[in-house]
Amino acid sequence: MITLEKVCFGYGKNETLRDVNLHIGKGDFCAIIGANGAGKSTLTRLMRGLLRPTSGRVLIDGQDIAAARPSTLAAKIGYLFQNPDRQLCRNTVREELLFTLQYAGIPADRRDALCDAALERFSLDGDGDTACMSRGERQRTALASALAAEPPLLLLDEPTTGLDYSECTAIMERIAEMNERGVTVVMVCHDMEIVLDFAKTCVVVADGQVLGEGTPADIFYNQPLLKRASLIPPQLIELASRFGGEVGRPTHAEDFAAIIREKRSQK
Amino acid sequence: MKGFLEYIPGDSILHRLDPRTKLLMPLILCLACFAADSILLLFVILLFDVALGYLGGIGKQTLRTLSKLARIMLFLFVLQILFIQRGETLIPLIAGLRITDEGLRTAALVALRLIAATMPLATLLSLTKLDELADSLVVRCHVPYKYAYGVTAAIRFIPEFSRQMSEIIEAQTARGVEFDTKNPFRRIAMVIPLCVPLLISSVRKIDGTAMAAELRGFNLRGRHNIRCTSRFGLSDGVGILVCLALAVAGVLL
Ligand SMILES: Nc1ncnc2c1ncn2[C@@H]1O[C@H](COP(=O)(O)OP(=O)(O)O)[C@@H](O)[C@H]1O
Ligand SMILES: [Mg+2]
Repeated sequence: MITLEKVCFGYGKNETLRDVNLHIGKGDFCAIIGANGAGKSTLTRLMRGLLRPTSGRVLIDGQDIAAARPSTLAAKIGYLFQNPDRQLCRNTVREELLFTLQYAGIPADRRDALCDAALERFSLDGDGDTACMSRGERQRTALASALAAEPPLLLLDEPTTGLDYSECTAIMERIAEMNERGVTVVMVCHDMEIVLDFAKTCVVVADGQVLGEGTPADIFYNQPLLKRASLIPPQLIELASRFGGEVGRPTHAEDFAAIIREKRSQK
Repeated sequence: MKGFLEYIPGDSILHRLDPRTKLLMPLILCLACFAADSILLLFVILLFDVALGYLGGIGKQTLRTLSKLARIMLFLFVLQILFIQRGETLIPLIAGLRITDEGLRTAALVALRLIAATMPLATLLSLTKLDELADSLVVRCHVPYKYAYGVTAAIRFIPEFSRQMSEIIEAQTARGVEFDTKNPFRRIAMVIPLCVPLLISSVRKIDGTAMAAELRGFNLRGRHNIRCTSRFGLSDGVGILVCLALAVAGVLL
């Protein structure tokens, strides 16, 4: 779905991203992880065509997006910004969603249905005032608006940052549902538990370079890699890796408990 | 990149001037521009503005500001030419409109005057630490503490606004709104609704800033709490004299 070939980019003189090669397949749920300032947001902006690489190519469905205007990609890619406030520009939630749908080129007679579906999915009040909502509601509105046109590709920059546990799970479950329906999801995320629970693949970014790719389990059990990227794995994996290979590579508490129980009964 | 009016650190002779001088010089130059009625003198003032930029080590930035202002003024210039129909015809246009010698002169004067008058303030403010400016205003010029800090806080928000605006435009581009149209009126019509998120986030930010200042005892502070070390020196005198000379030339010529 998305391919980056030898992409380099810098905001000023110094390079922010160096020689990034990446392929994200159709239907994937890919998490981009890395420390603050590693270049994750820059990477997603490049994928959306908001920034042009200084060298290299970004391909979406095999087509170089340098040739496309950013606006023509609107129907294809839903994009959630790190800060939802920059995105919301209408008075009510419904107007906000309709605005997105209009610019995504959805015919007028289908907009209302899609808008209602998105409101329903994120349990939002269509008449809610976008200016005086809580942080969680604003985030859900921004996300609902990114998803409203049901684009085949979602680029999400930190969708869960600053939300409480229940908001977080609610949002992630909606995103996972979209993914099951075949939507490709690329998500920047700082919460390793969420990455472990939801992502299918994982890309580690540090200092403007891609250090590694793989399933979340592969990445989180690769301690030298995490160390280089200044990341900490979920506690459970930290604990399991203290045992070395003895307990295998559990990713969830149940697996871990089952392994321990089995070991005990063997004795 | 540094935004408009954002402080650019350095150690040039202009950086070391007294903050009051850096406020006074643009004021005098501004008066000089409005007094001046000669295109030549306005050019000299404009040259002086650019020289100030190079003296402060921000030459490139000054030229960029100049070219931006020039683009805005070009619009004004054309309007003026079309509106002033007095004087000798130089070139006749359609529908009875004509370009006259007086129209050309007045238009050039207005455009040059506005550029030359606004440049030095932009240049010198970006070479002044706003805190020093506020301190100096409070201690030496007896401006009430709250007003001095209110004004400098407002100036500080300008680059913040422009950064936010570019983020907002980026966010709308991601949804498929096209800002790169050639038609300036369509462009303006598109940008206006975006002032809503800018306004909302700005009010939030200002509210937060004010509350944070309050919590740190802003109300309790006054003139006696500030140590202001700036003094007028030789370079301040020279700077102000040059500006005054230009102003006098403006009145006389
Ligand atoms: N608009 C910008 N202008 C200049 N530098 C920027 C801009 N945005 C980000 N950077 C720089 O690029 C680097 C990567 O930023 P970013 O991609 O936002 O990191 P992340 O999202 O991984 O925290 C940082 O060092 C940051 O300072
Ligand atoms: Mg980021």
